Amino acid sequence: MSLLNISNVSVYVGDTQLLAPVTLTLQEGERLTILGQTGSGKSLLAQAIMGNLPKALTRRGQIDLFGKTNLSLKEQKAMWGKQISMLPQEPWNSLDPLMSAERQLTDTEYYVAGKTWSTALSDSLAKLKKLGLGHIGQKRVDQLSGGMAQRVAIACATAGGAKLVIADEPTKGLDVSRRDQVVASLKEQTEGGALLTITHDVAVARQLPGKLMVVKNGRVVEQGESNDILSNPAHDFTKALIEADPLQWPNSENLASSQEKLISADAISVKRGKQTLFNGLSLDIHKNEVVGIVGDSGCGKSTLGDALLGLLPVESGCVVKHEETQPQRWQKLYQDPTASVTHSVSLQTLLEDLIKLHKLDASKATPLMKRLGLTHELMQRTASEVSGGELQRFCLLRALMLEPVFLFADEPTSRLDPLTQKDVSELLVQVAKEQGCSVVLVSHDPNMIEKRCDRVIRL
Amino acid sequence: MMYTEANSPPTPTFRPTNRVKKAFRSATSQQWFGFAILATLLIFSFLAPHFVSVDGAEQDLGAILTSPNAEHWLGTDHFGRSMWVRLADAIALSFGLAALCVLTASTAGIALGVLSAWFPTRFGKVVELLTTILLALPGLVLVLIFAAIVPGSFWMLYFAIALIQWVEYYRVVRAICQPLIHSPEMEASQLMGFGRWYCFKRHLLPAILPQVLTIAAFGAANAILMMASLGFVYVGIQPPLAELGLMTVELFPYYSDAPWLLAEPLVSLAAMVLGCQLLGRRNA
Repeated sequence: MSLLNISNVSVYVGDTQLLAPVTLTLQEGERLTILGQTGSGKSLLAQAIMGNLPKALTRRGQIDLFGKTNLSLKEQKAMWGKQISMLPQEPWNSLDPLMSAERQLTDTEYYVAGKTWSTALSDSLAKLKKLGLGHIGQKRVDQLSGGMAQRVAIACATAGGAKLVIADEPTKGLDVSRRDQVVASLKEQTEGGALLTITHDVAVARQLPGKLMVVKNGRVVEQGESNDILSNPAHDFTKALIEADPLQWPNSENLASSQEKLISADAISVKRGKQTLFNGLSLDIHKNEVVGIVGDSGCGKSTLGDALLGLLPVESGCVVKHEETQPQRWQKLYQDPTASVTHSVSLQTLLEDLIKLHKLDASKATPLMKRLGLTHELMQRTASEVSGGELQRFCLLRALMLEPVFLFADEPTSRLDPLTQKDVSELLVQVAKEQGCSVVLVSHDPNMIEKRCDRVIRL
Repeated sequence: MMYTEANSPPTPTFRPTNRVKKAFRSATSQQWFGFAILATLLIFSFLAPHFVSVDGAEQDLGAILTSPNAEHWLGTDHFGRSMWVRLADAIALSFGLAALCVLTASTAGIALGVLSAWFPTRFGKVVELLTTILLALPGLVLVLIFAAIVPGSFWMLYFAIALIQWVEYYRVVRAICQPLIHSPEMEASQLMGFGRWYCFKRHLLPAILPQVLTIAAFGAANAILMMASLGFVYVGIQPPLAELGLMTVELFPYYSDAPWLLAEPLVSLAAMVLGCQLLGRRNA
């Protein structure tokens, strides 16, 4: 039986088309992945199928669910939970922060699936145990890790017995190992039903065999079997998306970096709050070298960089800078570019401030801007009026204007689209090498570090 | 701007005119209405005395409690003084006090708020203790105490009102600055070598300014009301000076004979407060 059958479904705001007509069918036991950039309209399709489009938007075309045709919104709503359910983005935000994991799941079993309380309770306990979450049943969402919360959310979404599960960016904001866990758990928990996943991450699409649909600017550019498309993309956009996956990046040329030490940490231990993040850690960073630091979130990658830069005091041990330079030549790039630049004045003004402060050579800016792809027109805008990628490149420009000897890049691309991520990280490493600056690049993505760095440190 | 022009005289980095322009562009119709009321009253208070030859203290006991006529456009009070001139004087006095209070309280509040967010242990604790002591008494009682020390002194009133009003600015500014001071954007600026003044100008001030302007508008309304309340209970400005609250209580006995006279200061007071309140409203 086809669970989902949509023909010529499009989404409009007023008369403007946001999503071009899409036709697809999904059988029981099938998986469909919709792949596309942020803002490409892929979430709109999910909302149209679910029937929870924002009020300003209208849907055209026909949606058949479970063999029922011409459903009204009300009929669609009646199916929520029992036949069709949606796993929203960042599910820890959609779980109740005051209830224990076990209670939430039991409630779903009781109210949505309509079981008796005792069956609901025993079923949810069994389910949690099966997911390897037996020990966290009594914990609240804030006491769970992102991956655990994600699995609880998946369990809740499927507890009502829904056969068709729509997962909207289920791995957003998770690091690689948690991402893989979540995708595996999603696959396992929707065995027998149908799964529609929306993602911008090619790696997620790769892990979910089945159908694949690539969306660009509200238009389907390619669809078919996921394996075929990913190994043999026909459309240029699909190719670009696949190449943006760090696994596909070309290896960085290993330029001989000097053996001269720039900065060393000698048996340092650092605390953040009351927690000691690392103890007795020693490392040397050489001149003109790109060092990658990998590790799961919360293991102290950023803290290490802050300690090297002297932004955090070390509890014991010491950090030695082997080169006597002005303090502003030790720079940092931040994870979230929009939070690291003031929005009060134009980027141009910020750059002029910097040039004036350190009496820099203003003529240096033009070639650097060209190299980083920043136009003069763009510089007239404020930080809120440019994209994240553009802003991160501006941050890089400001850092490079100071001729840094050391640049600590704290997940500089994790908030960016895969395509932008590729460009920015490539520029960062190349330009830094051209300028003879050492880079410590932090990321939760080991593939990216592998491709971009001369040396990798695992925490 | 092209980079080759960077050698020409540097453009001024702080452009208050831009900020004013921006504020005007984003003003709501309510704010425009409030602004219009205040502007009208201000113009009246400055220009009105120039239209007539008498001053506010000149008595004419032959013409008391007259209704508005060609000679006295708003009538005369129980001593035959021109209401037109006295009202203008009283409004000017209220505006003056409000402006002084807002300026002093906001400057002190911003300075103390920013400094105690920056130095939470040394400086912050002392200021916090100070505000706790101040807030232990109701504001009006505090002002009454000060007003009673030197009765009728404008400067004492100003000092007392500003003293209780800075706390609000301080609290809001400190709350906004605390997270900002540890934010990546400030850290980035400091790593690039920018000093505290730059951080204040670029990071803190743009964040606190919209809030401070709102508090200032409401604060001005409160200062005006407070002075009028004190005048009404004879603790504030003393006769023969014209003050809205004092005029109200002086004209109160004649409300049945000359209701228009009582209405004049009351309407002016209400209009001033309304103007300030509307000006302080922003888009939700």
